[in-house]
Amino acid sequence: MADYAPVDLTAENLVSFELNGEKVQAPAGTMLVDACHALGVEVPIFCYEPRIGPPVGACRMCLVEVEGMRGLQTACSTPVQPDMVVRTTSELATQGQESVLELLLANHPLDCPVCDKGGECPLQDRTFRFGPGKSRFHESKRHFLKPVELSSRIALDRERCISCFRCVRFSQEVAQDGQLTMQERGGRSEIATFSGDAYEARFTGNIIDVCPVGALTSIPYRFVARPWDVTNTPSVCGLCPVGCNTELTLREGVVRRVSGRDEPNYAVEEGWLCDVGRWAYDSADHTGRLHRAVVRDANGARETNMADALSAATLVLQRADGPVGILLGPAATVEEAAIALDLAGGALRGAVVARLGIPAGPLAPLRATRRAEMGDIDDAQTVIVVGGDPSLQQPVVELRLRKAALRRGARIVTVGSRRTGLADVAEHVDAAPGALHAAISDIAARIAASAEPVVLWDEAELAAEPAAADALATAIAANGAARQIELGQDPNGAGLRALGIPATGLRDALAAGRLGALITVHADPRSAPGRDAWDAALGDVPVVSVATHVDATTDRATVVLPSLTLWEQEGTLVSMTGRAQRVRRGADGPDGAAPGWEILIALGHYLGAPPAYRTPGAAFAAAAKAHPGLGGLTYDDMGTLGAPLPPPAADHLAGDAGESVAAGSAGLALVAVRDVHAGRAAQGSEALLAFHAPAAARVSAATAERARLTDGATARISSPHGEATLPVRVAPGLPDDAVFVALGTPGAAPESLLGPDRGPVRVELRP
Amino acid sequence: MTADEIRAYLEPRRHEFADPRSLVMPALKYAQTTRGHLSREDLDAVAEATGFTPSFVESVASFYDRLYTQPVGNRVVSVCITLSCMLRGSDEVWDHLCEKEGIDHHHGGTSADGRITIQEAQCLGYCDKAPCIQVDADETLGPFTPDSAAALVDELRAAPDPEEYWR
Ligand code: SF4
Ligand code: FES
Ligand code: FES
Repeated sequence: MADYAPVDLTAENLVSFELNGEKVQAPAGTMLVDACHALGVEVPIFCYEPRIGPPVGACRMCLVEVEGMRGLQTACSTPVQPDMVVRTTSELATQGQESVLELLLANHPLDCPVCDKGGECPLQDRTFRFGPGKSRFHESKRHFLKPVELSSRIALDRERCISCFRCVRFSQEVAQDGQLTMQERGGRSEIATFSGDAYEARFTGNIIDVCPVGALTSIPYRFVARPWDVTNTPSVCGLCPVGCNTELTLREGVVRRVSGRDEPNYAVEEGWLCDVGRWAYDSADHTGRLHRAVVRDANGARETNMADALSAATLVLQRADGPVGILLGPAATVEEAAIALDLAGGALRGAVVARLGIPAGPLAPLRATRRAEMGDIDDAQTVIVVGGDPSLQQPVVELRLRKAALRRGARIVTVGSRRTGLADVAEHVDAAPGALHAAISDIAARIAASAEPVVLWDEAELAAEPAAADALATAIAANGAARQIELGQDPNGAGLRALGIPATGLRDALAAGRLGALITVHADPRSAPGRDAWDAALGDVPVVSVATHVDATTDRATVVLPSLTLWEQEGTLVSMTGRAQRVRRGADGPDGAAPGWEILIALGHYLGAPPAYRTPGAAFAAAAKAHPGLGGLTYDDMGTLGAPLPPPAADHLAGDAGESVAAGSAGLALVAVRDVHAGRAAQGSEALLAFHAPAAARVSAATAERARLTDGATARISSPHGEATLPVRVAPGLPDDAVFVALGTPGAAPESLLGPDRGPVRVELRP
Repeated sequence: MTADEIRAYLEPRRHEFADPRSLVMPALKYAQTTRGHLSREDLDAVAEATGFTPSFVESVASFYDRLYTQPVGNRVVSVCITLSCMLRGSDEVWDHLCEKEGIDHHHGGTSADGRITIQEAQCLGYCDKAPCIQVDADETLGPFTPDSAAALVDELRAAPDPEEYWR
């Protein structure tokens, strides 16, 4: 909860006024509460939440005395004016604050001992600091059934609600899902959804963070811990490339809660999290977690300890018939990747290092144009979203775009083949799947005609259309003030690229029989796009797999080295806007597992050529010296809010290009979406049961009919790359002659339909 | 009631309301005329006809005493309990009616046969006829004694239901 807006006391337009008898200065127009906070004077508040929108003055908690103004003023809606004389602790102000608290508590159950919020509750804290010691209210209080389930994830205790409207305003004005309202009136007022329906949307958990009392609590966290037996650690969400700053709440070595930070990162997520980022932490322990190392030989697989498995891995690598390949997964950290590169230059000299992702070459010119950060969307008058659907793939981006549209009147334009999650606030320019190039002159004209546009572009869709990517780069460069944000696919794609790691090369070397062994680091090529090609290339090459969960690659690996997850280990991720941010160690993880970076360092030791560092910090420092892409950053530079990396040069990784396979024009266009709600973390989380859905191929009604398929029927889909069998879902808002699939859903394999280097694909759809 | 019926009702009245939000009230009152209360489907239809979300429409409906989100009796009897009526004996009228219909004295409610709902009302503007009673949204009558009020309720129970429930 960010109770007060940040104030820049070094700004130029400062005005002087008197606060509690002292001469002070603050920027003109700052709200008094914020100015006071910045100047070290606390004015209590409840309803004020600058991130939600302009003040509404609903709770009256922030009463202060302003000389010359009649009565007491609400400091949350009174801007600083030159020479005003403000008293926040005078007798009059104190009386006002005490009376308001007495009233707010009149109907409050005062059940702090059994309330989850106790100990970290603004109502409790402010009552102690600003409230009256006693209440004069002796009548009976209102009673409600307590608590009720607002959804499967959020409990609502209506007796505790103080009607501040924060949650309702979040739902109406920030997420704009329109679901929460205040029903009834007066003492009977209650937070509710339509007819008591479950509050289901993409960002619901934020209402728990903004509630200043114990009315809204997280069901998975209820009664799990007290604030005094937990530690809170700032970290970063590793589920998508937005890189939202989070706070991990740990109790006895286990992550029990993920929430937005009290001091949000305004350049990134502004304190809001999507529900997947907030609740998927329990997926770290779901079935399939690797608790012990595995070594496989002619007699089958056996579990063993890490040391034994490292020896086995060393043997595999030493006996390899040819150089080794090292494949880094989309969320492998900068440290893990840097150590892998060092191994390739030392203990495993000659190793071929690559990342599992989309080749960077075709996007190099676009990535070299002027970058924006998420926070820059706030000030843009025009935002153009080219391809993709951020609501599903980089969820928190949606909230920024909604804020720009609703609060600043920005014009949002989406370009692409389908209705996105932004359909209600955006103007839409239609482009058939795989045909962004047809809309590019329209887009270029809009960019040219806008003052300081921000262009968001989808990595996968533009990589599949290099000509459109080039044209977009040219249009952005031509408008000197335009900036861009990549809607990336991989949580650390930008970090791996900053180290110069290509997506191509490794598979070809494998297929040509040039590699003697493969190390995978959080990478599962056998489930990734182009999995059939990967399988063919792998043949019977021995694999050493560093992984957190069982997957198709660990299933056949000779040695499996169990790693900690991003909720459990240190590291650095680089967001899609190029911001390097530190992931901190939260939970302990299984006893038999170790951090990925430690496993790789240990491998160096076992192979007889250890790297010169022993900690992730030292590994990062060495990497920052060796790789100019990291801009010489240190952990200190990154602090808790991260720091931007230098933008890549226009020829950075230009040679990282896959085979260009023409898709032809027969068949239906395949659109593969990396939907975080459909991915392993969300689908493996018990808390996110509401998002659990079997994988499906989504098509328009006409497309289904033409293929003689009905909703729910099983379809056989084939492409030049492979085949998949999926149930069909007829969905509104989709273009005809296209098939939409989500990547990464456990147990489904639409990845077979794609090429390993992505690119356009057309498919056949049959019953 | 369907969204189309509500639209047809609102169309000729639209010009009377500068803010489109103001249309929600007449829409709700009209939607209530078929059943006497607003079902989930009625609220959905009002939302569709006015362009607001169902939860917003429901929050408006829940705010007002004369918009019912739960079923009520065929006739709604509102007993004024504000000052003038209180001074002139509305307490006795209220208690007598509640007693007679077997209804909770604190909150009012609906008789077991589902015919009559007794509820409190604030000043109805008929202080000169205190204590007064309003039946649905049409007549306000008074002054009443406990007995004459009971007679009114008997009369209402015997009378045929109105064609439309305006409340
Ligand atoms: S539930 Fe919490 S956030 Fe919502 S109105 Fe009540 S106190 Fe405010
Ligand atoms: S904080 Fe100012 S009125 Fe609520
Ligand atoms: S007090 Fe009953 S009508 Fe005025």
